[in-house]
Amino acid sequence: MADADLDFTIGDAGASATYPMQCSTLRKNGFVVLKGRPCKIVEMSTSKTGKHGHAKVHMVGIDIFSGKKYEDICPSTHNMDVPNIKRMDYQVCNGEYYCTVSTSYIFTNFCFSTFQLIGIQDGYLSLLQDSGEVREDLKMPEGDLGKEIESKFDAGEETLITVLSAMNEEAAVAIKAMAK
Amino acid sequence: MVSTEQRQHAEHIFLSFRKSKSPFAVCKHILETSKVDYVLFQAATAIMEAVVREWILLEKSSIESLITFLLTYVLQRPNLQKYVREQILLAVAVIVKRGSLDKSINCKSIFHEVSQLISSGNPTVQTLACSILTALLSEFSSSNKTSNIGLSMEFHGSCKRLFQEDDLKQIFMLTVEVLQEFSRRENLNAQMSCVFQCYLALANQVLSWNFLPPNHILSCREVMHYIAMFEATQNVMLKPTASWRETLLDHRVMDLFFTVHRKIREDSDMAQDSLQCLAQLASMHGPIFPDENAQLTYLAHLMEGLLNMINGIEIEDSEAVGISNIINNLISTFPRSVLTALPNELFASFINCLTLLTCSFGRSAALEEVLDKDDMVYMEAYDKLLESWLTLVQEDEHFPRGCFVQPAVQVFNSYIQCHLAAPDGTRNLTANGVASHEEEEINELQEDDRELFSDQLASIGMLGRIAADHCIPLLTGLLENRVTRLHGQLQRHQQHLMASADPGTVDRKVLDDLYEDIHWLILVSGYLLADDPQGETPLIPSEVMEYSIKHSTEVDINTTLQLLGSPGEKATSIPGCNRTDSVIRLLSAVLRTSEVESRATRASLTELLSPQMGKDIVWFLRRWAKTYLLVDEKLYGQISMPLSTAFGADTEGAQWIVGYLLEKVINNLSVWSSEPDLANDTVELLVTLVEKRERANIVVQCENWWNLAKQFASRSPPLHMLSSTVQRTLMKALVLGGFAHMDSDTKQQYWAEVLHPLQQRFLNLINQENFAQICQEEAVKQEIIATLEALCGIAEATQIDNVASLFSFLMDFLSSCIGLMEVYRNSPETVNLIIEVFVEVAHKQICYLGETKSMKLYEVCLTLLQVYSKNNLGRKRLDVAAEEDQYQDLLLIMELLTNLLSKEFIDFSDTDEVFRGQEQSSGAGRAVSAADVVLYGVNIVLPLMSQDLLKFPSLCNQYYKLITFICEIFPEKIPQLPEELFKSLMCSLELGMTSMSSEISQLCLEALSPLAEQCAKTQEKDTPLFIATRHFLKVKMDDLAEYSELVETLLSNQRDAVIYQRLADAFNSLTASSTPPTMDRKQKVAFLKSLEEFVANVGGLLCVK
Repeated sequence: MADADLDFTIGDAGASATYPMQCSTLRKNGFVVLKGRPCKIVEMSTSKTGKHGHAKVHMVGIDIFSGKKYEDICPSTHNMDVPNIKRMDYQVCNGEYYCTVSTSYIFTNFCFSTFQLIGIQDGYLSLLQDSGEVREDLKMPEGDLGKEIESKFDAGEETLITVLSAMNEEAAVAIKAMAK
Repeated sequence: MVSTEQRQHAEHIFLSFRKSKSPFAVCKHILETSKVDYVLFQAATAIMEAVVREWILLEKSSIESLITFLLTYVLQRPNLQKYVREQILLAVAVIVKRGSLDKSINCKSIFHEVSQLISSGNPTVQTLACSILTALLSEFSSSNKTSNIGLSMEFHGSCKRLFQEDDLKQIFMLTVEVLQEFSRRENLNAQMSCVFQCYLALANQVLSWNFLPPNHILSCREVMHYIAMFEATQNVMLKPTASWRETLLDHRVMDLFFTVHRKIREDSDMAQDSLQCLAQLASMHGPIFPDENAQLTYLAHLMEGLLNMINGIEIEDSEAVGISNIINNLISTFPRSVLTALPNELFASFINCLTLLTCSFGRSAALEEVLDKDDMVYMEAYDKLLESWLTLVQEDEHFPRGCFVQPAVQVFNSYIQCHLAAPDGTRNLTANGVASHEEEEINELQEDDRELFSDQLASIGMLGRIAADHCIPLLTGLLENRVTRLHGQLQRHQQHLMASADPGTVDRKVLDDLYEDIHWLILVSGYLLADDPQGETPLIPSEVMEYSIKHSTEVDINTTLQLLGSPGEKATSIPGCNRTDSVIRLLSAVLRTSEVESRATRASLTELLSPQMGKDIVWFLRRWAKTYLLVDEKLYGQISMPLSTAFGADTEGAQWIVGYLLEKVINNLSVWSSEPDLANDTVELLVTLVEKRERANIVVQCENWWNLAKQFASRSPPLHMLSSTVQRTLMKALVLGGFAHMDSDTKQQYWAEVLHPLQQRFLNLINQENFAQICQEEAVKQEIIATLEALCGIAEATQIDNVASLFSFLMDFLSSCIGLMEVYRNSPETVNLIIEVFVEVAHKQICYLGETKSMKLYEVCLTLLQVYSKNNLGRKRLDVAAEEDQYQDLLLIMELLTNLLSKEFIDFSDTDEVFRGQEQSSGAGRAVSAADVVLYGVNIVLPLMSQDLLKFPSLCNQYYKLITFICEIFPEKIPQLPEELFKSLMCSLELGMTSMSSEISQLCLEALSPLAEQCAKTQEKDTPLFIATRHFLKVKMDDLAEYSELVETLLSNQRDAVIYQRLADAFNSLTASSTPPTMDRKQKVAFLKSLEEFVANVGGLLCVK
């Protein structure tokens, strides 16, 4: 089993977790770091103090992992941190090794890296990477999605798992049956 | 304590009691013996309902005795609870009204009774009399006060017409008598005062009567009109029939209301009624006046009365709105010819009074603002009076020349004074001269003053034009003065900052006062100098033009141009500045403000500036540019030399100012990216400069324009810090500019600077070998998003003359975008934006496209939907934003399909030959119609729709609208659909009919009827459409079968022979008219009509059960 510490470097080693952006350029449905948490912006409004005051931006965001609500207000000239968000598709299959071939319209040289789910242990997914390495740090999602993955896995169905990652945190957020 | 169940049980008892058959004897007994108010109330209600329900069965005599009983009952019990008494009187009124047409029960005997009650002198009895009259009035008014008695509109209309000719007049006369009596009394005690108030309110109700035109049959439209009247009874203008002449043209009636008001004006409640009566009298018009002379006499008398009333009193707060209503009604009701025919002296003193009143209300309104009152009575009154001024001066050619100049000067001055800070003005000063200065939080939903006060500003601007000689120099002087002071103040701050370097220590009070002064001065100047008509080319207002022409002989053109061209210098420092054109000087005062602002930003004092002032400046410049820039002499009868020399086509002045505006825009976009509203107003100014070909021609000659284009294309700071909407609009402006007149080399070079970099960067990025690996990197995502935003902007720039080239350019991207859909299938924000690009392109371009191009667009849209569907079908997302994201995608997709469908009814491609030469004509008959495409598209996305998603009301609505649209326009397409699609469509319809809101089921039924007609037309019985439609009809028919059963049961349960016969007849006549069922429109109408009759006729009877 791999050392848990090492797993943090999986993906884009060296890329910073966040980058700054002027408050006024943020948009609804975009992302921002509020109270240290990566959030999707669900509400954005401006206000000012006095008729001749400068704009302030009021943001309401939802933590993309926990679903908790956060708010912040700051002058619109200020910079806010924006999280680097990554979403990867992992293929789950039983035994055999598949490569998702994109039916891309114009890109011919494009293919997702794929992982093989070789097991579910103690609430963690075991995924096999192309390189042959095993990563076992991805938690089995709770609730319906977890159950779905488990039943699909048991039934040996071919499915893709989407993994969302931001600010050194990862979670499986979606599954999709593979097109035959 | 009473439990909920007990309460419900009790309610049930009362409800069923009210439905019991012929409850009259029981009710009488209850009324005479019970001591419980609520029971009495219910008994009265039961009587009322039973009379209406069992009307046909009741004898006239028994009804009359019932009325007598109820009236006597009330009279003998002066101590009844008010609500019980009113309910009993309501019952009387309803019975009288029900009987007024078919049983000749009339009000005469009641009136006789009432006048006796009035003459009794007993206040309680008099109040009761008033209540009786009020109840009758409300019942007959056919307004929202009328009870629901299940009769047709025609019944209500006929009753009302009968009533207004006779009984209403009777009530009015009785009321006037009472008011006269009371107004003669010296002292009124509290009790009498109450009676007085009742009758005053009654008089108001009579004068607010919405008169029906006499004796003519209602058309369908009129019926709708009266139905609408049931809803609203506010702001009815008094338009009595000719038979009211003797009553209302009698001067004593009007005098009485003036007298009454004088007597009670300190009581704010009563004053409201008496002023409203006068306002109604001031709105009188129509057949009551035999000729214009009668109107003139009436108006003169009204005006004299009004002036006598206002002069010599100090107006109470509660009177302000009422008085301004009288004036406003008077000015908007009486024709100009009557106003001008008034004796000069009278008219002059009226105008004088109006002027003083306006100024005084304006000052009081300002005080209200300072005190932040909830109830802004003076503001409302001021608005009304300014509106009256606008009505007056808009047609001022009818009046003696110049008669409004002095009043306009006064009103204008007082407005300016109220909006300037001390010492010149009184802004934020309380009544005792103390300045109040509070900074409140203002959110983005609060409208800008220029919209919030647009009506006021339009009136003030109009008055400013009337008195241009005074107002334009006044504004110029004030603005120049404020700008000089602002400049000095900013310089002092700069020195201060250099010394201490802490911006926190700056006292902004002086600055904010200057900003606020400048804010109002610019707004008023903007409204004075130009209009903002939507869509049309705005013209220089004739008053402004005349003013400029009048003084053009005293003007030195060169000095004027020098003044205009040197916004960095103080206006007064230019030699000969007093011999310049005043209109140009006012503009240049705004340019000076703009210059101070720009210089402050260059000196890094942006922190100290007011974004609001920045907005005002670009707002003004935009409004000004639309009207004055490149002024077209052909549009004017006469033109001012200074204006045409400075801003005409092919003038240096015009070129200079375009350059200046462009520089301003560029400066603003780079320093104000953090102020979304200001950036938006700025970029709108840019659009204004390029959206007209003539202006764009000059713009593209400016080097700055090219710099802006290059800078934006390079996506470097500061432009890329603008919000996405601003970037979109900027792109739109840059594209629009590309269609200005340029030689072909220049044009090529321009597109090479503007559009090609976009394409190049995009292609370079997506064709990188490792794009799949780097596509999730933020920098890459940002680049992609910026490109998509730019595409939306390009689509927005579509015009009929550029659609050919823009379409080809965008099409290349659209195919690539589908590839992006694959790459970013996990990134909902990008997917959403991609769909939006398609929506925009379809929205802006489809109507211009010829067949081949349309096909291409259809195709690419369908591919988009296929990819979207493939990526999302069977996918389960459980993150927090999943549902919201999907909802937004689908909403956009529905919008896309609707846009595509719009091709079927808005299509310019045949008449306009924008693609001529490019399009290969493909012969007759369109192979694929928009409907095919849309149906196919619906098929693709249908499986993605879930019942949960349909819970988003806007999505649900959009979806069913789309389906209904399709069925209505192309019922013949439906039977040819592939089986699966057909099935899902029918499922949607069924779902919509059975488990959605009534609005949705209505849409579905609307969709169903063309389908049924389609079936009937083809007459083939085993088509799937026929089967499906039959299924739906069966759903509805089941109801019909139930209906017959219901009829049977009803009839069999009915033991009363009379009722049995009536019911049977009614049912027969209902079904008789509806057979045989054809699709004739006439038949449908006939059925509806008999259904209505049926409901009115037996509806009440059925309830007896």
